Amino acid sequence: MLLAQPARAIPPFARQTGLACEACHTLPPELTPFGRRFKLSGYTLTTRPPLVNDIDDYKRNTLWLTDLPGIAVLAQLNYSHYNRAPPDTGQPYPAHAQSDTFQFPDQFSLAYAGAVSDKVGAWMQLTYNGQAGSVGIDNIDIRYSDHTYDNKWLWGITANNYLTFQDVWNGIGSYTIPNFNTVSLATGGVAGAGTTGPILNALGPGVVAGIGAYVFWNDSLYFEVTAYHSAVAGGSSPVVDSVSLAANGGAVDRFAPYARIAYERDWGYHSAEIGGSALYVNWIPSVGYISKQQQLAANEAAIAAGTPGTPPYTPSQTFNPGVINRYTDLSVDWQYQYNGQHNIFGFLGHVTHERQQNSNQLVAATFTGASSPVYSNPTDTLTQAVVTGEYFYNRRYGGLVSLTRTRGTWDPLLNGGNGSPANQYETFELDYVPWLNFRLILQYDVYQVVANNQSPFNLSNATFPNSPGFTNIRAGDNNTWVLGLWMDY
Amino acid sequence: MSKSVTHLAMAAAVALACTVFGTAWAAEISIPPDPGARDAHTLVSFACSKCHGPHANGISISPLFPILAGQNSIYIQEQLKLLRQHSRADPHARAFMWGISHALTDQQIVGLAQYFSSQPAVSGRPSTNPELAAKGKEIYENGVPEPHRVIKCIECHGENSAGTNTVPRLAGQHAGYMALQLHYYRDGLRENKLMNRNVKNITDDQIAAVIEYIGTLSGETSPNDTSPPASPDDSSN
Repeated sequence: MLLAQPARAIPPFARQTGLACEACHTLPPELTPFGRRFKLSGYTLTTRPPLVNDIDDYKRNTLWLTDLPGIAVLAQLNYSHYNRAPPDTGQPYPAHAQSDTFQFPDQFSLAYAGAVSDKVGAWMQLTYNGQAGSVGIDNIDIRYSDHTYDNKWLWGITANNYLTFQDVWNGIGSYTIPNFNTVSLATGGVAGAGTTGPILNALGPGVVAGIGAYVFWNDSLYFEVTAYHSAVAGGSSPVVDSVSLAANGGAVDRFAPYARIAYERDWGYHSAEIGGSALYVNWIPSVGYISKQQQLAANEAAIAAGTPGTPPYTPSQTFNPGVINRYTDLSVDWQYQYNGQHNIFGFLGHVTHERQQNSNQLVAATFTGASSPVYSNPTDTLTQAVVTGEYFYNRRYGGLVSLTRTRGTWDPLLNGGNGSPANQYETFELDYVPWLNFRLILQYDVYQVVANNQSPFNLSNATFPNSPGFTNIRAGDNNTWVLGLWMDY
Repeated sequence: MSKSVTHLAMAAAVALACTVFGTAWAAEISIPPDPGARDAHTLVSFACSKCHGPHANGISISPLFPILAGQNSIYIQEQLKLLRQHSRADPHARAFMWGISHALTDQQIVGLAQYFSSQPAVSGRPSTNPELAAKGKEIYENGVPEPHRVIKCIECHGENSAGTNTVPRLAGQHAGYMALQLHYYRDGLRENKLMNRNVKNITDDQIAAVIEYIGTLSGETSPNDTSPPASPDDSSN
């Protein structure tokens, strides 16, 4: 499951509030303490008087429209260059793919962002994805929020389609820093590649939708509970169709509960947060599983129809709702932010541990199907740590260094090759921001460890039967330069 | 399908909101969402408190934003009007206050000024660098002589930096905020005829010293404090 990164900042919020980007962002998408409170308040803060207003007989507002809707245009372009051109898997070596790519655009979005009423706000985004070549529903977050008279308690409800999109800190989730949507291995820019991560990061637009409630107490303690259900884009409703499941690699069965707690303390120019989250997902994998009963029934039906030997089930289409993997993700995240008059720096990140209990119907030792097992182990674990340091001067020049480390149990059937899901890479980024809504990015991703099935080079060289001459493959072949442009209006 | 799910989610969210928080909603039905119709406390709670103190007490946490608790009411009114008409044009005024103040009515400005000025003020604290504070005291009380002339602060801001009417109270203010404003005045980013002239020659070291000293002041009104001969604040535009 490879997702587009969410848009980073929304000029309609600036138009609505009259505040420049820096009120809410150190640099987009990272939020300042003010930006966090704006989001938690349901995007409702406004200084624009209504153009159209209506009240009922009880003086309750029934309509509140400003002169202009909060529409934004957002674009990301980039040019990526890989350290080595991967071989063309369809042609004999030395045929190879190009070593660079222009994404023009990488993403192009239209979004509504802003207040819907005095207590309801929304962020709704439609995105053209350059890699997919199609337009689709992107991030949606609709909020209701209110607070007590003394501001001691703030509470709200969020309905969103991207697990962690509602979060207001940047150490974890959809707005983890670094956030620029590079076309590199780390973001799945090469077909079939993409570094392994927890399912926490994978439940996005077109996969899930959820409703949750949150409270923010005493301007410091945050608690949220949200439940997500499958919301497969382009599929039938309710979700039963194997084809729609295949599009996302699976679907959430019933509801996936997600709980989040965080404590923030602000003092002087400093803001610090420590938090944790827990996610439990019953996941229906799209694995082409055919039960023996299904095969038997299919064969009987075929015989009855007079066409023995041509059962209507094929591994690529068949789906058994009884096959469920269970994921438990536990995370700790932190964020320190110095938001000074000229200097901004931050230190943030997270550690996530995932336990994946595979359906015994799919595990080699207990496999009950008619085709092939999918997992080597009944239980797989994955631990990922991301640590990022960043510095910006006057919101104009800056950069960051980010380290990602992923380790887990070796599962050859799941991960291919020797079964390791490990990856280890660093991201170095330089930023030049001549205008707050126009940012140039130079990024270099350096890979020390890349697992077999995550690399376009396939480190075991097992899937290049046409390329025997393609040798000396190493993780560093995946290193990527990216020149990016992000802008919005 | 995603569209219908979205509608369903939205409807459910709103329905749940109305059910759970119906009482709170009903309690505020007399306050329309038109910003022009909000009273002072609602404005503070809804907007100002996000920067100027989370508990609506006017005591900001970040030195990027001034402490308004106990600030002189007339001064706050003047500043809000200058910000509303974009006459005060320093970088932070543009970024934060131009937009947020543009729809304020005169009546709301009076209400906000009275609200913040009536909040318990913050007093100074003993300096951790007495030597620097002593240098600052000298500048505060006697200024800097020619040729690098800096006018003494005490003349307008008073013995304990309580200010008067249009002159801001400085006691208890964030050091970082005051330093930034002095840089703005000196470099012409914040226009004010008196202050631009008074601190034209001040050095970074002198700014650090005088702010260290102001940080120790109580803000109590002294019998010697009098209104200055003319409005010293941003009235040049």
